[in-house]
Amino acid sequence: MTTEDGHENIRVLIADDDEHILDAYREAFSEPESTREIRALDALAAELFDPDTDAEETPHFNVVACSQGDEAVSLTQQAADDGEPFDVVILDVRMPPGIDGVEAGSKIRELDPDVEIIFVTGYSDVPLEELQRRIPPPLKLHYLNKPLSFSQLAHDVASMVRSH
Amino acid sequence: MSNAIENLPLQRKVFLTLLLVFAVFSALSYAILTGVIAPAFDDLDLSAARTNLVRAERAIKTDIENLEAITADWGPWDDIHDYARGINPGFRKGNLDRPTLTNLGLDVMAVYAVERELLWSQMRIEGEEHSIEELGIFGTDDPAYAVLTAHEQIESRTVGIVSTALGPMLISSRPIVRSDDSGPIAGAVIMGQFMNDERKARLAERTEVDLHWRSIEDFSHNHGIDPLAIADRNVHLEMSDTSVSAFVALSDIFGESLLVLDVWTPRQISALGEQTVNAAMLFLIITGIFVTAVIGYLLRGWILVPIEKLACHMVKIRESGDLSHRLELTGDDEIGALAAEFDNLTSEVHEARKALLLQSFKAGKADTAAEVLHNIRNAMTPMINGLERLAKSFKIAEDLRVGEATQQLSDPDCPPDRADKFIQYIDASFARVKAVNDEASEDMKVMQSQARQVEGILADQEKFANVAPLEEDIVVDEVVGEAAHVIPKAAKDAVDVELDEGLMRYRVRAHRIGLLQVLGNLILNAYESIQRGSKRRGRICLSASDTLVDDKPMVRLTVRDNGSGFDEDTSQRIFQRGFTSKSAGSTTGLGLHWCANAVAGMGGRISAESRGMGQGAEFHVLLPAAQGG
Repeated sequence: MTTEDGHENIRVLIADDDEHILDAYREAFSEPESTREIRALDALAAELFDPDTDAEETPHFNVVACSQGDEAVSLTQQAADDGEPFDVVILDVRMPPGIDGVEAGSKIRELDPDVEIIFVTGYSDVPLEELQRRIPPPLKLHYLNKPLSFSQLAHDVASMVRSH
Repeated sequence: MSNAIENLPLQRKVFLTLLLVFAVFSALSYAILTGVIAPAFDDLDLSAARTNLVRAERAIKTDIENLEAITADWGPWDDIHDYARGINPGFRKGNLDRPTLTNLGLDVMAVYAVERELLWSQMRIEGEEHSIEELGIFGTDDPAYAVLTAHEQIESRTVGIVSTALGPMLISSRPIVRSDDSGPIAGAVIMGQFMNDERKARLAERTEVDLHWRSIEDFSHNHGIDPLAIADRNVHLEMSDTSVSAFVALSDIFGESLLVLDVWTPRQISALGEQTVNAAMLFLIITGIFVTAVIGYLLRGWILVPIEKLACHMVKIRESGDLSHRLELTGDDEIGALAAEFDNLTSEVHEARKALLLQSFKAGKADTAAEVLHNIRNAMTPMINGLERLAKSFKIAEDLRVGEATQQLSDPDCPPDRADKFIQYIDASFARVKAVNDEASEDMKVMQSQARQVEGILADQEKFANVAPLEEDIVVDEVVGEAAHVIPKAAKDAVDVELDEGLMRYRVRAHRIGLLQVLGNLILNAYESIQRGSKRRGRICLSASDTLVDDKPMVRLTVRDNGSGFDEDTSQRIFQRGFTSKSAGSTTGLGLHWCANAVAGMGGRISAESRGMGQGAEFHVLLPAAQGG
C-alpha cells in the first residue's frame, strides 16, 4: 500500500498494557524527526561532501495503539469494515484484566485471515507450537521476546510487508 | 432436651436407649402380669369359694336327707303304729330307751298320737336329758307345732331347718302309718339334730371346708349388709386380702330365710399366683438386665468402641492435619473393613497432598518467576530502545564531518563562498551535536527512571516473598522427607541422606510451603557443598530435638553435611544478602538470606556452624513447637 505522495503506508495495530512500551512503539514506528536545521545540515553535507548520495526511502507506518485485547479485536473489526485492514497486528500476551493476547489473536485471525500477527511478550505460559495450532497459518504468526529493539522490529515489519 | 440427647456421645446414647427399652419392657411385663394374669388367679379363687359353698350346702342337705331317711324308717312301721294307737305298750320299753337317740345320732325325738297327744319324747344335750319344751317349738301356739305334730296325708312330710330356743335344728317329721304305708294315720314321729358346733366341726371335716352359719340378723349386723339383700338366696362373694367369703341364705321349714351359710376359702390360688407373678417379674428383670448387659457389652466391643476410635481418629486427623497416622483396627467385620478403607483413603490423600504440595510449590515458584520475568522484561523494553536511540545519537555525532570541513577550511585554495558554507556546516554541526547531547541527556534521565522501575519490581517481589503466610501444625518428618527430594536423582548414589527416626516425634507451627523451601534450600546447599568439597562419599543427616528458648517450647531441625564447610569469617556473613561461597554460575535457589528471613517470619531463628574448611557444616533451624505437640 502506498500514500498519495508515493510513500509506502503500512497499517499497524499494537496492543500492550504497558503505556511506556506503547510510547516506545510509537516512537520506533514514527518517521525520524526532521527539523529545518537538520534538513539544512543534511543539504549542506550533501552539497559539500557527497553530491551523488540519495536519501534512503523510509517506510510510513500508520500506527493504531491500544492497551487491551478486546480493544484490539474491535479495532480490527472496524478496520475491516472501513475497508482498510491492518497489515500487521502486534500483541502482548499478558494484558490484564481483559482477555489475553492469545485469545485476542485467535479472534483477530477469524476476522482477518491475511493479517500478520506478531506476539511480543516478556513471558508466555503458552508455547509457540500451541500458538501456531490455535492461530494458523504458522507463516503469518511470529513470536518475539522482550526486551527487543523496536526500531529493528519496525524495520523487520517493513521488510515483512514488502516481501508480500 | 432432644438436642441434649442428640449431642451425647454414641456410647451413652446407646446405653440410655437400652435402659429405656429395659424400663419399658419391665413396665409392660408388670402391667400384663398384674392386670391380666393376677385377676385370673382371683377368678379361680372366687370359683373355688363358690364350689366350697355348694359343697357345704350339699353336706347340710345330705344331713337333712339322712335325718329324713331315719324318720322314714320309723314312720311306716306296724309296731310304732300299734304303740301310737295304744295297743302295743311294750314297744316303748323295747325301742324307745335311752341309747336309741345315741344309736340314731339324734338330739331330739318325739312320738305323738293322733290329736297331738305326746306319747313319748326325749332330748339330750351334751349327755344330759332335757325336756323338749325347752326348744320352744312344741307349744300349741308355736307355728312349728302344727306342721310337725299333725299330718293329714300319709305322704305328708315336714323336713328342714327350724329355729328353736336352743339354736337352729335339723328337723324331720312323718305320719305314723302301717308298714305297708297304709292308714289310718296314728300320729307323728319327730326327729331332730342341733346345728351346733359339733355338727359344724363334723361337716367341716367331711367337706374340708371352713363353714359357719349364723342368723341373718347377726350376719347382716356384723357385715353391715342389708338383710333383704342376703335373703335373696343368691350366692354372695366377698374377697379380702387373705380369703374369699362365699355365703348364701338357708330357708327354714316354712320357706323363710333363716340362716346364712358362710364359707371361708383361703386365697391360696391368688397367693400362689402372686408368688408366680413375683417370680416371673424377678425372672424378667434378671433376664432383662442380663440381656441388656450382654447386648451393651457386645455393642460396645463390636460397634461402639471401634466407631468411637474411628471418630477420634478422624477428629485427630482433622485437628492435627497429620495424615501419617493409621487407625489399624483389627477385625474382619464391616467396621474393620470401614477402618481399613479409611486407612487406605487417608494414605491416598496423604500421598495426594504431598504430590499437590510439591506441585503447588513448583507451580508457585514458576508463577512467581514468570510474573517477575514478565514485569522485568516489560520494564527493560523501553530501556533497550532508549539505549538504541542513544547509540543512534552518538552515531549521528560520529557521522558529522566536522574534521574534514575544518581541514578544507584551512586550505588556502578554498574559495571564499565554499569556505563560508564550511563555516555554516561546522556551526550547524555543533548545534546538532548540542541538540543530540540534550536529547541523550533526557534519554538518560528516562532510562534512570526505568532502571528504578526494575528495582521497584524486585523490591515488590521481595516484599511479597516476606509476607507471612498461613501457619499450621506440621509433622516434621513429612516436610523433611519431601524437602530431601531436591537432590537430583542422578546424585542419589553419591550422597547418603539420613533421616533421623526421631523426626516423626516433633511437630512445629510453621508455613508448610515456606518450611519446605527453607529445608529444600539447606539440603541443596549441603549437596552443593559436598560437590565442592572432597571426593569422599557425601552424607547429609537430618535430625530434630526439642529445646526451650525464652521459656517457649521450640523444635531444633538440624541439617548436617560432610561437605566443604566454611571458615569463621564466612559463618559471620553467610546469611547476609548477596553473600555466596559458591562458584560463579551455580544455581543459588532462593538463597540463605531468603531462608533466614523466611524462618524469622515463622517466629524462628536460623544459624550455621562449621569447624572450618573441609570440615562439613551444620545448619540449625529453630521453630516454635506445635501446641500439644
